[in-house]
Amino acid sequence: MPNDYIHIILADDDEDDRLFFTDAFDELNMSTKVNTFNDGVELMDYLLCEEAILPQVLFLDLNMPKKNGIECLNEIKSNSKMADIAIAIYSTSASEEDIEETFVLGANIYIKKPSSFKQLKKVLSEVVSMNWQYHTNGLNKDNFLMRL
Amino acid sequence: MKLFIKFDFNAICKKVLETRLSELNIKYKILAFGEVELLEKVPTETYQLLTSSLDEYGIEIVENQKSILIQKIKDAIIDMVFNEDSTINVKSSVYLSEKLGHSYGYLSNLFSEVTYTSIENFIIIQKIEYTKQLLLSTDLSLTEIAFKLNYSSVAHLSTQFKNSTGITPSAFQRIITKRRNMAQQ
Amino acid sequence: MTKQVFSKSALFLRIVFLVSVFLILVIGGFTYKHISNLSNSTKLVVSTYKVNVELEQVISYLKDAENGHRNYILTRDTTHLEPYLSAREKVNESFAELKEIASHSEDQNENLKTLSKYIDNLFKNFTQTNAFVENKETLTEEFKSNFFEEKIIMDSIRQKIDEMISLENQQLEKHHKQYESNLQFTPLFLYLLLLFTLVLIIISYNRISNDFKNIKLFNNQLSIFHEATIQLENIGKHGNWVWHVDTNSFTFSDNLYRVLGEKPGAFQATLETFMSFVHPDDKDKLAADVEKMMEEKHLPFTYYRIIQKDGTIRHIKGYGKLLVSDEGERRVIGNITDISDEIENYLELEERNLELERNNEELSEFNYVASHDLQEPLRKIQTFISRLEEKESDKFSSSGIQYLDRINAAATRMRLLIDDLLQFSRTNKPDKEFVLTDLNELLENAKQDVAETITDKEATIFSDVLPSVFVIPFQMRQLFLNLLSNSLKYSKKDVRPIIKITYSIINSIEDDVLVKGQQLNYHKITISDNGIGFDQQYASQIFELFNRLHNKQDYSGTGVGLSICKKIVENHQGFIVAEGELQVGATVVIYLPV
Repeated sequence: MPNDYIHIILADDDEDDRLFFTDAFDELNMSTKVNTFNDGVELMDYLLCEEAILPQVLFLDLNMPKKNGIECLNEIKSNSKMADIAIAIYSTSASEEDIEETFVLGANIYIKKPSSFKQLKKVLSEVVSMNWQYHTNGLNKDNFLMRL
Repeated sequence: MKLFIKFDFNAICKKVLETRLSELNIKYKILAFGEVELLEKVPTETYQLLTSSLDEYGIEIVENQKSILIQKIKDAIIDMVFNEDSTINVKSSVYLSEKLGHSYGYLSNLFSEVTYTSIENFIIIQKIEYTKQLLLSTDLSLTEIAFKLNYSSVAHLSTQFKNSTGITPSAFQRIITKRRNMAQQ
Repeated sequence: MTKQVFSKSALFLRIVFLVSVFLILVIGGFTYKHISNLSNSTKLVVSTYKVNVELEQVISYLKDAENGHRNYILTRDTTHLEPYLSAREKVNESFAELKEIASHSEDQNENLKTLSKYIDNLFKNFTQTNAFVENKETLTEEFKSNFFEEKIIMDSIRQKIDEMISLENQQLEKHHKQYESNLQFTPLFLYLLLLFTLVLIIISYNRISNDFKNIKLFNNQLSIFHEATIQLENIGKHGNWVWHVDTNSFTFSDNLYRVLGEKPGAFQATLETFMSFVHPDDKDKLAADVEKMMEEKHLPFTYYRIIQKDGTIRHIKGYGKLLVSDEGERRVIGNITDISDEIENYLELEERNLELERNNEELSEFNYVASHDLQEPLRKIQTFISRLEEKESDKFSSSGIQYLDRINAAATRMRLLIDDLLQFSRTNKPDKEFVLTDLNELLENAKQDVAETITDKEATIFSDVLPSVFVIPFQMRQLFLNLLSNSLKYSKKDVRPIIKITYSIINSIEDDVLVKGQQLNYHKITISDNGIGFDQQYASQIFELFNRLHNKQDYSGTGVGLSICKKIVENHQGFIVAEGELQVGATVVIYLPV
């Protein structure tokens, strides 16, 4: 591991959700570093610049102004530089079709935003933990699919 | 064109180790998976060269005793899961404590402390991972896989798969197949 | 069919006519031959009589000459020689006549030559005898022998002439006999021929009158058909036209004029006059079509507008096809139809359909957006409540904490409702793709989704082998999932759930539910359980949105699940019904068109 913390990025236009997200990681004590972006354009601008530190896990809200989650997902998947990033879809709704579609497009994790903070913490820790397992135990990342 | 490959992580790792160690003229003996015995004293410079050259492959020399033990637990579990012969009729806790010479309680605590997960969970993850591999690379049905991995029923495997990944085995298979089809187009 | 009969009949009549003409010609030929035979016989008779008469005459002239000669010998008076001399001339004349008449018979010619020799000898003798008389040597031996010789010659002449007359009579007799035999057979033959011809003519007459009757019948039918066509033209707003290809002229039916808003025959039937009614925007296209028709002798369906004199625009559908008559005359027969009403109806229907579709889409869009957007604030409320409970619970009184619990429970229920509503509105979206799918696989997927509950409740599921059907896979899986969840959820508390899934193909006549179905055959999938069941009187209500038979405390649920099932089955043009008996179990039957 180049760093001893886990780098995490969230792109979500909802201020409350960003707050819940960072609060949850603060309380988790998992030696993580969390960056947030307000929409897809901001996110992609950051990811595509030269000196960007790429995250281990990227959380993408689907419904975002300017550039939505699916568009970001497509751009990231077509860029070999970002092939190692585990992508978690972080959305309010979860229809079977939507979930399957994002998985097929290359997402690794689909999270339906939980309705309690406790649940949120649990879900996020599971994501980080599972990603850690994939990272440290030489599991085939192509098979990394998870729905929470 | 996109190729889909299967690989044996152990074989790759072993090959890399052999190549690197030979390059640096170090006399060695590979003991078990994840364990190499150096047969003579190695100069610090050479040792650093070895560390950095293995780092390129993501191979890390585990320094402390705890980490070594954790690695041994992992190796034992992987061996247990992937070599299905050894799983027959042996409880994993018994198997691990016997193989590593520590009480299961000690191993379990140590493991959870370092790896963000429990031994039980790690076993499940490995089993599910193996199930995924078998689903994708063989024609085995889920029932056959459940039998092969010593599950009491297909429902049990199915439930565990869903609990672990949030999706059903068939959904998993469908998604990966679609993904591959899309990549090929 | 009739056409064939007529052409057969025409061939028959033609043959009968030719045979009759031939027979009449044969009869004529025979008659002619017969008559000419008759006239030949008459000629023969006449010539025979003439020959006989002439021969008799020759005899009598010779007798005259002999008499004159004898008288001269007795009297020596030369006046007696006068008849002798004239007889000589007359005999020669008769002989010339005889030669002409008897020239047809060689025998007679021979006889004539002999006779002429005899007569010459006779006259030579007469001259010699006369010379003896002049020289008064009548008593000489020579005279006597001469005289005697005269008598002998005369006798042989007589004999020859008799011979000739009898030969002539014989020939006449022979000819007569032959003629008689001819006369016996010819009339009979002619009579028979005539009879046969008559029979033929009678048959032909019969045939012709039959054909005539048929033609009359067909004519009748044709005129009825014609009337019907005119009626049909009137009602259906059709007009007929015929283009006579060979003369390049047109005829228009009366109703064609009416379709154009004119009185029948109001203008001359030409292409130009017709084209003057066509809407200017459609003229070029129709002209091109017509030009193509002139080349290919066929006008495929073409659509254009016409403007009537009062300015009304009508939509027209046109078609034409080449017909070649038996006589080889080429005609393109076509029709035009005023389809304005249909087009108007169609446009109206389409407009309404679009409106309905828009409404539906808006509704489902609204439903989706509403439920989706409602989720977000609701989730936040819940999250904030959970934060309050976690961080600030020590600051609340016990009733405050209870209120928080109640708020949370209400919010959770609302969330459940919104989730189900969202799923229901998703099921409403029409743009789904039908894929041939193995229903066993979908059922297996659904089972995997509820695998945990199956294990927990120790449920058993028996299932027939299901077919592969064209379905929307996601929806079908949802259907199975909802039905299995229902059976598992409404199971009896102390009884292991048993779910039976049976399958058969049935004919729509066999099942009352399918009476209103369009298809003939249906897949029938029955899912029955041994759960708490329900009262049969609610069998149709349970499919209504938000309809619940149990209170929320006993069984969780929103009353949307079965509505979704109904919607899904309807999306597949199928039917779903439920049967239940309290404390015995529930059965849901799904019918999907084959």
